Amino acid sequence: MLAAFNMAGESTTATSTVTGSAPENASLLVIEHLRVDFPEVVAVNDLSLRIEAGDVCGLIGPNGAGKTTTMRAVSGLQEFTRGSVRIAGRELAKEPDELKRRLGFMPDFCPTYDQLTTSEFLDHFARAFGVADRARRISECLELTWLTDKRDALCEELSRGMKQRLVLAKTMLPDPQVLLLDEPASGLDPLGRIELRKLLLQLRDAGKAVLISSHILTELSGFCNKAAIMERGRLVKFGTLAELGRQMDRHRMSVKWRAGGERAREILKDPAVAKLEPQDGGVLFDFLGGPDALDELLKTLVTQGVRICEWRGVGDDLEQIFLQSGAKELM
Amino acid sequence: MKLTENPIFITQRRITHRGGVLAGMLIAGVLGFCLLVGFIGSLTDEFGNARPAADMGRLFYGWIIGLEILVLVLGGFAHIVRVLTEDRKAGLWDSNRLTPMSPAQILTGYWFGAPLREFYMGLVLAGFGLVITLSAGLPPTLWLGTQLLILSTAAFFGLLALLMGMAFQRAQGLLVILLFLFTIPVSFLAPSRLLTNYLLPTYGIGHLFIATVPVSEQPMDQDWTSATHLFGLSINPVLLSLILQASVGVFLWRTLVRKTANPFQPLMLRGEAVGLFTWLTVAQQALIWSMWLGIFPTTAKYRNSDDIPLIIAVHGGTLLLGLMLLASASPQPERVRVESLRLGFTNFGPLFSRSAAPLALALAGIAAVAFLTQFLFNLADSWRILLVVCVNLTEVFLLFVLVLEYCRLRHRRRHLGFVALWLVLSCVAPLILALAFQNAGFARFSMLAPGFIALAGPDDTEWPPLFYTLMAHMLIVILLGLVWRRRWLGVIGQAESSN
Repeated sequence: MLAAFNMAGESTTATSTVTGSAPENASLLVIEHLRVDFPEVVAVNDLSLRIEAGDVCGLIGPNGAGKTTTMRAVSGLQEFTRGSVRIAGRELAKEPDELKRRLGFMPDFCPTYDQLTTSEFLDHFARAFGVADRARRISECLELTWLTDKRDALCEELSRGMKQRLVLAKTMLPDPQVLLLDEPASGLDPLGRIELRKLLLQLRDAGKAVLISSHILTELSGFCNKAAIMERGRLVKFGTLAELGRQMDRHRMSVKWRAGGERAREILKDPAVAKLEPQDGGVLFDFLGGPDALDELLKTLVTQGVRICEWRGVGDDLEQIFLQSGAKELM
Repeated sequence: MKLTENPIFITQRRITHRGGVLAGMLIAGVLGFCLLVGFIGSLTDEFGNARPAADMGRLFYGWIIGLEILVLVLGGFAHIVRVLTEDRKAGLWDSNRLTPMSPAQILTGYWFGAPLREFYMGLVLAGFGLVITLSAGLPPTLWLGTQLLILSTAAFFGLLALLMGMAFQRAQGLLVILLFLFTIPVSFLAPSRLLTNYLLPTYGIGHLFIATVPVSEQPMDQDWTSATHLFGLSINPVLLSLILQASVGVFLWRTLVRKTANPFQPLMLRGEAVGLFTWLTVAQQALIWSMWLGIFPTTAKYRNSDDIPLIIAVHGGTLLLGLMLLASASPQPERVRVESLRLGFTNFGPLFSRSAAPLALALAGIAAVAFLTQFLFNLADSWRILLVVCVNLTEVFLLFVLVLEYCRLRHRRRHLGFVALWLVLSCVAPLILALAFQNAGFARFSMLAPGFIALAGPDDTEWPPLFYTLMAHMLIVILLGLVWRRRWLGVIGQAESSN
């Protein structure tokens, strides 16, 4: 049985390794009008986000967009000029110590005590967080991050990916309600990334609020239900993937048919259709218009007797959203 | 939270033990053993005649103490600075700050955990020291007193190391060691009258050693054996050392806790700087008060020639302390800009109150009041000395703040080089030229010159040029003040435009 916090801040118990459940419409992390100034630049400017229990929000943007600064400001490591950060309804600036147990921050590098073993490293932070039943919780976190067989290995002997997992285990030790993960997948091998995805889905199901930044958009789309796109310190777009998708004015589509191909090709000569490419049993095309116009196109195809067997968006949703947000320079 | 339950202490202990403590303890043991054997061997000379065991005991225990200071004080200091700078670079400092541990718990963990190896080595050496002291028939109070002083100095240096480790990215804290080592030769000017001798264990240990020598054999210099006086009141030098180290330690601790809780604040708050400066300058003036008892000599015939370097050293120390505190309390321009954004102030008043310029005036005022104690009963004769020294001190403090803050605003990260250049050109270079060409005229161009010349007892003909020099310096301060003000207003302008 693991200790966890419910929304009222009381300790609860649960049997799963990642504890908690997702209350509906509970804003665990609320950022309002956040501004961070650096000597030469406004690193984060008027950023507002709201992340609810069970949300996994991808923080996306090119280098220097302010993603890491935002995470550092939310975690309390970076002083901000204006704005407020609330965690489970409580103001970070007013109760920084109280909120330390509720917020887990995993930086984009891996700070470890190289001369300690992985279990000693976790023991250090378990003591610091006042975790009850340290030994069991350490074992659980090692298991969650697939490091059980490395529990006696020195941190300096670990690969970058393993260190990344160890720091993730450290972040989860106090079972925080809100997790800030800065590029958690950057050092992981393909298997590690798959496991990370599973873990994040577990966290999502357990009602945690996760803000995660990554350059690898295809991975984020596997578990994110929200996205926040930043550019030059400003929030360009924010919302659920469905909401953002509706705002898109360009969709890459794949359509396949059993019959009526000629008729379909005639219809697809529509001015809103571009980059038409043939494919086996159909075509790929870009549709320059909103979701309603796209629905209208599908309706036309069907009513004109085209027997459609596939109608879907191509490519990654998040990638498309990002590409259309204006913040195009990823690396 | 008990020290043994402190996570950082436990981690540092694990790291130290994993790295091996036996080698260090063995080295200390071998050195201690060699000194013990040397002590036993020295009890008889080459002809088999017995030597006084107490004399030999003092000699060899002195070596043990030297080693202990090297290991525990300097080694421990360097180790804490290194561990802290490495942990900060690695991000572990921030990781610990994000836990519910209080700043005091974090600091305590590093303070006692990082120098564990040095502590074990010191313990071994102290054991051999005890054997030598008892074998030589020396009083156990010598061992107890010296060990207490060494431990207290190690703790004091540990706090300094924490401050250095937090303030700098690299191990520039070693500069502090060099600075303190530099004070040792100066301290022999007047052992009982210089404050640094009490912040270091120098005078306390020297006093304890000489106290074990029979009166007839004590050195002629009574300064090492007599009690220390503060404004004429006698106080035990070991006690004064402990009080001084503890009181300065409290200031350091407050600063450290505050900086750990919020690293964006300046190293020292103005209130803390005023408190520390007041305590140290008043204590220093109290130590030298018994030289003149409030009747500072105004002509050379009253003056003991030994007193001139001492009073100049005290004045120089006051200047140095003031400059260090001003540099620590001066705000980062970026922080002021953020505050102007947050609070929305657009005029110069709030900017001035945030700058270290008012602090410079406050410190100069405190130094003047402390210095006044030396002139209490002959102010009518010596007012010119007091006036020149105090005005000069004010000018130097103000100029330093103006240059430092201007360079921070203008050159940002490169400001240190420009400030150092200003210090060399305006203060040090004229003095070096004067020495090189054996021409005192060059020295007058130094910003520091009026104060030092006034203290050295100038002739009546030398006073008018001194006052003119002060006025010229004042003009420089005013001009630079205008440039500095303009630059600060630019900061508000930037803040407004980015709003």
